Amino acid sequence: MIYEKEKRYIIPFADVPDERAEMPEISVDERRENFTEVETGFPEEMAIKEAKRCLACRRCLGCALCWAECEPEAINFEIPDEELDLEFDEVVITRGQDNAFHPFNSDLGYGNYPDVITDLQFERMLSPTGPTKGMVLSPRDGELPARLAIVQGHPEDEEDHLFSSVVLGVNESIIALNGTKDLEVTLVSPLCQSFQEKLLPAAEKITGLGILAGSPDSIERKQDEEALTLNYSENGEQKQASFDLIVILTKPKISSELVSLSKKLEQDII
Amino acid sequence: MENKHVLIVGGGPEGVRTALEKAEQGMQVTILEKFPTLGAERIPTDRLIKPDEAFVNPDLDKVRSHENIRILTFSDLKNVTRENESVRAKILKKSLLVDNSKCTDCKACIKVCPVNMLDDFDEGMGFRTAVDYCNPQTGEYNIYKEDMPVCQDACPVNLDIRAYVGLIADGRHLDSLAKIRERLPLAGSVGRICPHPCETACNRQYLDEPISICFLKRYAADVELQQEIEPVYATPEQKFSEKIAIIGAGPAGLTCAHDLARLGYEHVKIFEALPVPGGYFWVGIPEYRLPKKLLQREVDLICNMGVEIQYNARVGQDITFDELKNDYDAVFIGAGCHTGLKLRIPGEDDYEGIVDCVTFLRQQALGGLPEAKGKLIVIGGGNAAIDSARVGWRMGFDEVYILYRRTKKEMPANSWEIDAAEHEGVTMQYLAAPLEILGENGKVTGMKCIKMELGEPDASGRRRPVPMEGSEYVIDAQTIVPAISQSADLSFLPKEHGLELSRWQTFEIDEETGMTNVPGVFAGGDVVTGPGIAIDAIAGGKQAAAGIHEYLRNK
Repeated sequence: MIYEKEKRYIIPFADVPDERAEMPEISVDERRENFTEVETGFPEEMAIKEAKRCLACRRCLGCALCWAECEPEAINFEIPDEELDLEFDEVVITRGQDNAFHPFNSDLGYGNYPDVITDLQFERMLSPTGPTKGMVLSPRDGELPARLAIVQGHPEDEEDHLFSSVVLGVNESIIALNGTKDLEVTLVSPLCQSFQEKLLPAAEKITGLGILAGSPDSIERKQDEEALTLNYSENGEQKQASFDLIVILTKPKISSELVSLSKKLEQDII
Repeated sequence: MENKHVLIVGGGPEGVRTALEKAEQGMQVTILEKFPTLGAERIPTDRLIKPDEAFVNPDLDKVRSHENIRILTFSDLKNVTRENESVRAKILKKSLLVDNSKCTDCKACIKVCPVNMLDDFDEGMGFRTAVDYCNPQTGEYNIYKEDMPVCQDACPVNLDIRAYVGLIADGRHLDSLAKIRERLPLAGSVGRICPHPCETACNRQYLDEPISICFLKRYAADVELQQEIEPVYATPEQKFSEKIAIIGAGPAGLTCAHDLARLGYEHVKIFEALPVPGGYFWVGIPEYRLPKKLLQREVDLICNMGVEIQYNARVGQDITFDELKNDYDAVFIGAGCHTGLKLRIPGEDDYEGIVDCVTFLRQQALGGLPEAKGKLIVIGGGNAAIDSARVGWRMGFDEVYILYRRTKKEMPANSWEIDAAEHEGVTMQYLAAPLEILGENGKVTGMKCIKMELGEPDASGRRRPVPMEGSEYVIDAQTIVPAISQSADLSFLPKEHGLELSRWQTFEIDEETGMTNVPGVFAGGDVVTGPGIAIDAIAGGKQAAAGIHEYLRNK
């Protein structure tokens, strides 16, 4: 095995330049009636900058630094994969740890604003084993948010999705409110009938939580503003409100692999 | 019931709960999870909670220590088949690369790991290192290592892209070039013309745009040129005396020759029908994309290893295929696809001024094309069509048209090539097809065309163009270049060659070794795949070189 510090091809994340380098070319006028090479090649500075855009895909590079540091010699790059051939009397198919979700309205700014996150990410944030050890912090600036919105990513969806996602939203609010000082939470989602009948009265009693039966249209950060602006509609009326952190309720997506397994074995996914 | 074996697919909270339930009933339970750790706590979605019972925490400790439960994390279900009453499952349990029974949880590995990646366990909310334990309470240490990154996997020759790009980032340009040359002798040429499947795969595209991998390869090669360094492609001390004949000095043949010379073969000879090397690199790709001088230099580097190229040696004419088979220990066929297909419309063979794209580009590259006057019409939508049009524009045709029967969206040519052609002033006529070539006094004067519209998708997934009745029209032209596709010219083979061919007149080869059904005869590149991209042909040459080595050493 090689122990070589030079093989560290990774670069600091903050330094990653964003724009792809464009190949310099000679002008169209210079190309007529000759066969001069059109693309002139990257100058050094441009090449280095472009190379630094590579994320190196942030997987183990086999540099073996960890192996060299591991005193009990637990790290071992030679441990092989195992191929197993097993027989079972019964198979139960469950969703496992794959938390993929269906894409939702791209106007909600997820991916553009670091302070717009999914319910799954928020769940990890609220967990004592999560990245903030259960504290609610905005990923944008690491500050405690004062105004949190939880909004429905799939407002048009059927009853059971709305029920379970709204319940998750309320439950996440309960945990967040319990652990965060001076927090106000607003939940924006169409409410299905079963939720209104069974749980709405109890949810409305939660201090600090406001429930709006509406649907979110878009999220933007206006110029020179710290907070995000949520545009939503409630009873056919267009409204706006500002928030420090917005959580989007997602709809779970089952992988095609599991779907085909379920078809093959003619068994439902539980 | 007692000894029933149950497989639980998915180690999330639901899977863990079911596993415990079944194990308590005395069943033998196996949990299979793709992730390196079993599911952590989740927030209920069926009832409102009290703050103090926030997360439903599956009893992971109990699961881990239960005598009836076997845990297979980091595992893939490769195949399942139902056999009578039971289910047979083939499972790949990937190595954690850490022996957790020895691990003391000192975290020294995490402190030194240079790789910071988004934490998949925390839904990308933070960073983790490549060596990690996922769930801080119950997780096992594991190393997130793939066989190769997506770019390298997408590259037909599996170039170590992450390494050579990283070396450029570190300013180590010549080391980067050396890294590329470990697998690719024609770095500067390929770095100019490759349609880069690696960039199509690049993960960075999900963030903004892929890394400009191909041009970085070109950059590394250009640095050496600028610094006027004359590199030597090394050959090993241990030599092999077998003689190998290679048909065609194109990308496949040159790479095959290079790889064989690097393995120690001293007698590698390439038979090339043309007076120049490079195959399609020389006579197909125009000078403005790939300068001949640069190509010649890269060919010279291969020749300096001891590889001989005999020019103007057309197999089947100047030397027979059987002679090669008898006089050499192995033969590699890398003859390419150098025959342009015909339009099969009336008038095609009647007039002067109609020339297929392969011939057109070759004549231009070798000199000897008739005058470029009037209007040029190129028919087709592939890269050869674009090259022909851009060449024609440079030669001085007054007007250059590309006629294509579908729309820009369906054009198989690389989008940046189409854009460049339009930018230079080539006029695109989409949704049009030729019906008849028109001429006078033995010379082309124009073409009768028909307008098309797009119908239902065909086998290729593209919408099939359908002629619009009554929409015929005539355009005048002095030169017409059909660029619809190319095929292999196999006339160099004797009648009784015994080689297996596909219905497309390409060679059938062994997928592992590149050998044809005739022992000692190998093939690769376009003569196997049909007209394709250079890097695939190069991969074919590499495969055959390895196959020839194996064949000769075990003979």
